[in-house]
Order: sequence, then structure tokens, then C-alpha cells
Amino acid sequence: MSITTQLFALFFVLCGSGAVAAFILPTRWNPISLAVFGTLTALVLLAAGGLLLLGDAEFHAELWPVLSLGVMTLAADRLSALFLFVAGLVFLPVAIFSGSYLVKYLCHYSLRYFNFLYFALFASIVLVLLAGDALSFLVSWEFVSIVSYLLVNFEYKREESSQAAFVMLAMSEAGTIAVAIAFLLVAVAAGSMEFGALRSAAPSLSATMAGAVFLLSFFGFAVKAGLVPVNSWLPLAHPVAPTNVSALLSAVIVNLGIYGIVRFNLDLVPATTSRPGLIVLVIGSVSALIGILYATVESEMKRLLAHSTIENMGIVAAGIGAAMIFLATGHQIVASIALIAATYHLANHSVYKALLFLGTGAVEAGAHTRDLDRLGGIARVMPWTSVFFLIGVMAIAALPPLNGFVSEWLTLQTVLRSVLLSSTPVKIVFAISGAMLALTAGLAVTCFVKVFAMGFLGLARSEGAANAAEVRIGMRTPLALLAAACILLGLLPTYVIPILDRSVMPLTHESATAALVPPFFSLAAQGQEAIPPKFLAEFHDLGAQVGEGLLPGRGLVVLHRGEEHNPVIFAMSTSYMFVALTGILALTFVVFRLATRGRTLARRAVWAGGLRRLWPGITYTATGFSNPVRVIFGAVLHPAAGEDSTEAVAQHFRTAITRDQVEAHIVDRLVLDPPVSGLRWLAAIVRRMHVGNVNAYAAYVLVALLLVLIIGAGIF
Amino acid sequence: MADWVLKGLRTGIKSTAYPQLPEKASGVSPGRPIGTSLGSAKRAETLAELCPTGAIIRDGRNVTVDFGRCVHCYRCHPDEGDEAVSWDLSYEWAADRDQLAAAKRKLDRAFGRSLYLRFVDAGACGACVSEARQLNNPYYNMHRLGFFTTPTPRNADVLLVAGPVSDAMRIPLRQTYEAMPTPKRVVAIGACALFGGVFGPSFVASGGAAEIIPVDVEVPGCPPPPLAILHALLVVVERKPPTPLASLPSAQSREMA
Repeated sequence: MSITTQLFALFFVLCGSGAVAAFILPTRWNPISLAVFGTLTALVLLAAGGLLLLGDAEFHAELWPVLSLGVMTLAADRLSALFLFVAGLVFLPVAIFSGSYLVKYLCHYSLRYFNFLYFALFASIVLVLLAGDALSFLVSWEFVSIVSYLLVNFEYKREESSQAAFVMLAMSEAGTIAVAIAFLLVAVAAGSMEFGALRSAAPSLSATMAGAVFLLSFFGFAVKAGLVPVNSWLPLAHPVAPTNVSALLSAVIVNLGIYGIVRFNLDLVPATTSRPGLIVLVIGSVSALIGILYATVESEMKRLLAHSTIENMGIVAAGIGAAMIFLATGHQIVASIALIAATYHLANHSVYKALLFLGTGAVEAGAHTRDLDRLGGIARVMPWTSVFFLIGVMAIAALPPLNGFVSEWLTLQTVLRSVLLSSTPVKIVFAISGAMLALTAGLAVTCFVKVFAMGFLGLARSEGAANAAEVRIGMRTPLALLAAACILLGLLPTYVIPILDRSVMPLTHESATAALVPPFFSLAAQGQEAIPPKFLAEFHDLGAQVGEGLLPGRGLVVLHRGEEHNPVIFAMSTSYMFVALTGILALTFVVFRLATRGRTLARRAVWAGGLRRLWPGITYTATGFSNPVRVIFGAVLHPAAGEDSTEAVAQHFRTAITRDQVEAHIVDRLVLDPPVSGLRWLAAIVRRMHVGNVNAYAAYVLVALLLVLIIGAGIF
Repeated sequence: MADWVLKGLRTGIKSTAYPQLPEKASGVSPGRPIGTSLGSAKRAETLAELCPTGAIIRDGRNVTVDFGRCVHCYRCHPDEGDEAVSWDLSYEWAADRDQLAAAKRKLDRAFGRSLYLRFVDAGACGACVSEARQLNNPYYNMHRLGFFTTPTPRNADVLLVAGPVSDAMRIPLRQTYEAMPTPKRVVAIGACALFGGVFGPSFVASGGAAEIIPVDVEVPGCPPPPLAILHALLVVVERKPPTPLASLPSAQSREMA
């Protein structure tokens, strides 16, 4: 047995022991046991994933034959290794966090049940990523759906919890059915369920069949990835789930949808025309825009983050769509770059979204509310949590030099590479998608400025926020880990890109490392890499070799080289940017100190419009901050004002006016509501049959019997 | 849209030519009473008693006028009777309250064409507010001279105060002044802000803005016309000289009173 096989075996054994330990240990030890076993399993997974990702290790295991459907196999290539590693990266801090977080459920809900489900979810997610044939993929996929449903419905005593979990399960099942049909269609053509056989049978599919397979599979995976128009479960499920489960939903489970798209539509059944890619690109950019729009106007932190997940998955999908188009038109290297951008964004999103969800959990534990309109001033009472949360917020708002910036920048740059394509309509679609992604990036800054400014700065707008206390070290450590990952992924893109390149190379058959990370550190390599010495020398004059000898690797500059007449297509270095930004900050500080030396600084009270005292009730709220966006995008958001209710003293002196504003999601309004109301209408007609008369029902039975007999006679 | 541009071009500039040229249009100023020689001590006595705020001071057969105390009641106006002082239809009324202090705190030249104003209504009847608001209209158009209003004192260079400073406005006025960065100037607009006017000092109002914050420039009148306020702003940035409050015929009338 190879080392990876042993590690995976150890992983499943540990998952099993974690689940069993939950039932053996006393209930009050359950959080600790989850933390310990969860950390161990995550570490083992990280080790296995890392070995597969960095080394040349392979993993292949045959389980057992199932009837006539073939042998269930587990296999991992570098693509699955990447997703496994990202999952481990999220599961590790979530496990540590749960150790402190779950304590609040003691005496209310069964933690034994939670621990069991947690390890079941972890194992089934890993099984999805390891699946080597359609059968084991579908079985474990279904397991993930069911277990995540049970976890979202963990607080089953709450009505909204059950409803949201049910919506999630229903949508997920619809997706699973579509995916299963897609797999079976290909499997019938291949005569086997094994991925290798599917891959080789894909080219023989007719164009209509390939189109149907694409649409079915993309629909099914899009449900999991939360893309528009099948995104409704995300903003429902996230707020009701326990926070650690929300983090897993947003940072791991939606990734499975992306994994499905990449595995199925790029690896197993790659598109031969650019049409599927265009659909993915358009759906991705629309998801990004709609997601961030709803996130910007949302005040409930977890729902806001759920909308933002839709946005980020949209950006990832846009990158994948671009890759599919470039691949279908024969631009392998650009396709590699697009896939690197997409997978980079996926990894980044997992890290910062887990950080933000866990941060929200910490804030909720301290302040007992997640409503941005009721928070405020958290930075003063919870300084550590706030610092980590700020890093996550800056990363998700794509501010350089953090990780969100790197991947969003790469995605936008690849969308701009549509100039390589020959078809004008495709170019136009690319341009519109690029514009939508750019608008998304802008709105994301607005959205997360709101989150941090309204939640963490200013005055506390509720009792809970005012009396909040810093959470325990067990909750802060995972935040610190994730924040460190955000910073590392942001500062060292040139070390991450080759790893991602290795994992997407099997799909595009062309390495993009040389095209993205020129070897500025090693002059010796210039001969092999065919980089003109003049070009290298020019960049060395700019200082691209700074750090050589200190750091391993090829350099710190991400740079895409073009032809002779256009040597640099795009270039960026967050590493040097970080040094420069730090320098500028230090310089500003020094200049400011020098300029104000010898001057007295006057400190005055905060200007409150002349009021004698500034009280929280009159300060800016999150709803107020995002109102301009609500007004500008009124056509999309379509806010409907409800009844005003007025409180008055002695009939005339109004003391308060309350206005409820209902915002139905545009997808619900345009896509889901018409069929639902159509079905209701149909049901109302059919209901007329229920007359409550026994004779009528007897007549129905007779008519039905007659019909069956007639149809039966016709067939035989 | 094109019509709009064309109409604008055809209409041309309609703003007042002040301060480059004196304003000639009638009705821009209610005028001010000035010291007059009346010819008999009896008539001077009668006239001084007519004034409700004691702005007219008898000096033998002459009267001098302390314009800072005038509330424009028009009892001494030539149209109202035989006992009248001379009226001067000027509008450059802004006076330096304390010339020494002003000289010490010279505003930077940079403020000359970019001065931000914060207006505080400290219990005014609304007349001064209405007149000050005219500065924003196309005729007086203070923006052409580099004067702008700002809603926050943090950005303001000049504090415009109208009203006698009612009790409720004492603290807000003080806070507004303290919230402004230095260098800063205070312009008191109207008789109330100068000495309390017909309201103060009383049980609800103090006797003018100077009791609460240091005032640099005073604009007398009840209310002062927009051009007088504009003159005050030009005095603040030293583009126009101030006009003394006490008026002819004898220059030392105020000290004598």
C-alpha cells in the first residue's frame, strides 16, 4: 500500500472513530471530541492532499463490485487533490472552532447526533472527491445532500430551520436527478460507469446528446454551486444552520458543485463548441452580479455572506466558462490561465468565507446578534476577532495585496484575453461578462465596507453589542489560521500558481506556469524557457529579481508574456506591492509626524450635529448605508413597501413610524414563482374532483379501471 | 437639453456685478440711518426718543447713529414724518468687531477663493435666514466668488450666526464653533446676533453671539440684505475693507455715547 492509500485509510478510520466516540463519551465531552477528532482527520486529509498535490503520488483503490454496474473505485488525480486540500484547509479551523462553539447547544440539542453527522459529512465529501466511477460519485453525492440537510436542520425545533433545510434538500435532489441522468446517458454510450470509460466514450456522443448531457449536468452541479437561477437555498439555509455548518456549506459544499462542473464538463465530457462555455460564462457573471447586489442590501450577516457566496461562485463559474471557450477554440494556455484563476478564486473563497462565517459565529457568541443594524463598536470590545475579520473582509473585497485581489484580477485578465477569439458575438458576450464582473468587484467593496464599518466600528446599537466580550482562544485560533492563509495566498501567488497549474494541466494538456510566472530568479533557466534576454534584463532593471537567493522558486511577479510586438500582456506582483504599500504607510507616518512636530493637537468631541450627546439610535445603520444601492438598482431589487404602522401619543403626536419593506429575490420572482403559481392554479382545478361524495369516488375508480383496460388492450 | 444650453447662452450672465462694480438696481438695500444735523435740540431729543433700541443718540442739535443697534423699524425714516434722519442706500455694512484681533489672525490667501460656510440659526425669526439663503440664488450667486456652504463644521472656515442665541442654542453654537478647525472666523448676521435685538438679553435668549463665541465680523441690519452679507464674506477674506458701525456726522460719536 502506498503512503497516500494508508493516509486515506487512516482518514476514514479516524472519521469512523470520531462518529463512534460521540456515542461512547459523556455528552459534555462531545465538543472536545469533535475538535480533537476533527483536527486529526483534517490534518490527515491535508497530508494526503498535499502529497498528491505536490508530489508524484497517485491514489487508486478498488472497493467492491456492485451487481452488474461494475466495480466501485476510489481514485485521486491532482484535480481532486486540490479540492481535497481546500476541504482540509476549511475543515481544520472549523473543527477547532466547533470545540468552543458547540458548547452553546449542550442541554438543548443532541451533540452526539451532531458529531456523528459532522464526520459523516466529512467522509462523504471526501468520497465525492475521490470517486473514480459514476456510481460511487452519485452515491456519495447523495450522502452529502442528505447529511447536509440533516445538519442544516440541526436546530429542528425551529420552524424556519426545517423549512429552509427542506428547500435545500428539494433543490439538491432535483440537481442530483439531473446529474444522475447525465451520468447515465454517458454511461450507456460507454457501457461502463468507470470515469476512464466515460472519458473515452465522450467524443462518440452526438451533438444533441452532448448538449443534453451538458445542460443536465450543469443544471445539477449549478444547484450545489448556488448559481443563478438555482440559488434560492443558499440565503435560506445559511442563516438557520449552526455557524460551523454554514462555514462548511459555503466553503466546502458549494465547491463540490464547481468540482462537478470541472470534472464532468471539462474532464469527462469536454465541450467541442464554445456554446456550453458561453452558457457557463453568462450564468457565472449574472450570478456574480445578482449575488453581490443582494449581499449589498442585506443586513443579516449570515444571509449577506450566503449571497456573497453566490457572487464568488459566479466569478469561479465565469472563469470556468472562459476556460471552456478557450479550450474549445484551441487556446490551451489561456484556458489553463482561466482555470488557474477559477481554482485560485475557489480556494481563496473557501478560506476567506470560512473566516468570515467563523468570525460571524464569534461575533454572535459575543454580542448575541448577527444583525448589522444592531451591532456596532465590536472592534473596541472584541479586538482580536475584529482584526481577523478585517483581514477576511479586505480579502473578499479584493483589496490588494490579499488573496481575493489576485484571483479576481486574474479572472478579469483572462476575460480580457477574449481578443484572441475570432467570433465577434462571443467577444461581445465576453465584454458584457467582463463589465458585469467589474461591477461586481466594485459592489463587493461597498458591501464589505458596510459589513465592517457598520458591524465593527462606531457605537454599539444594541445592549448585546455594547456588552460583548472577546471570545475564548479556542474560537480565535481558527480565525488566526484562516487569516494567515488569506495573507499567504495573497502575498505568494507565484508559489500557488504552479501548484494549481499542475492540478489543471490534465484538463488543458498545456502548462501555464511558464506563461504566468517567468523565471526572474534564475538567469540559468532563460535558455530553456525561451525568454528573450533583453526582456529579462529590462525586468531585472525594474527589480524583478529582488528576493533572489533569499526565496526559492521562479520569481515574485505574475506576468503573461505576449508576442514580439506586445511583450507584456499583464503583470502584477502582490509580493512587491506589499513591500511598497508597507513602505508608503511607514513613509506617510514619518512625514506626518515630521510635519506636525511642535504643533499642538486639539482634540474635540465627535460632531453630532449640535446634539448634546451622540446616541447610537441616530448613527448611520447598515440599511441606511446600502440604501443608495437599493435605490439605484430598484428595477432589479424591486422593493415592495408594506403597510406603515404608526405609534402615536394622544392620537396626534407620532412617536414612531414602522415601515416593512419586502424584497422578493429576483430569481424567485421571475423564475420560481410563475411555475409555482401555475401548479397552484392547476391544483385548484384538480381539487374540484374532491366533491366529498362516495358515489363520485366510486365513479372515478370505475373510469380509471376502464381507462387502464383500454390502454392495456391497445398495447398488447 | 440643447434648448437649455442655447437659452442659457442667449440670456447671458444675469448675476450682480458686485463686487467688481457697485450694485445699481433699486431695492437691493433697505438703507441705513446716518447721523444728521437737525437744527434744534428739541427735534434731536424727539428723534432719539423715537428709537426703540437706542440706536439714535442725541448730541446737542445733532444725532449720531449706532447702526449696530438699529432694527430697521423705520420710525426715523423721512417717509414716516418730519422728525427724520438722513437715509443712506448703501449696502456695504459689514464691520470689524475688533480690528486688532483681526489683524493678528490674518486668514491665509488660499481662503480668498475657497471659503466654506456653516450657517447656524441660533434662534432667528427667519428673516436673516431668508436673506442669507438668497446668496445661493442666481442673482447673488456667491459660488462665483468662491464661497460655498457645507453641512458640517469640520469642513467650515466661517461660521455664520443669526439670531440672539436662545438658551437651547447656546451649547450647539458653542459645539459648532469648537468643531471647526483653525483658522476660523465668525460672522454675526443681523441685529439679534449683534446685541440680542428685540429678543434679548432676556430670560430665553442671550444678548448676541459674542456672549458665547468670539465674533470677528458683524453685519448690522434687521435683516441685512444679501449684499451686506456678501460684503461681510469679502471682508473676512480681505477683499473689501470693513465699514464702521457708528456713522456721521461726527466720527467719535460712539465713544461719546
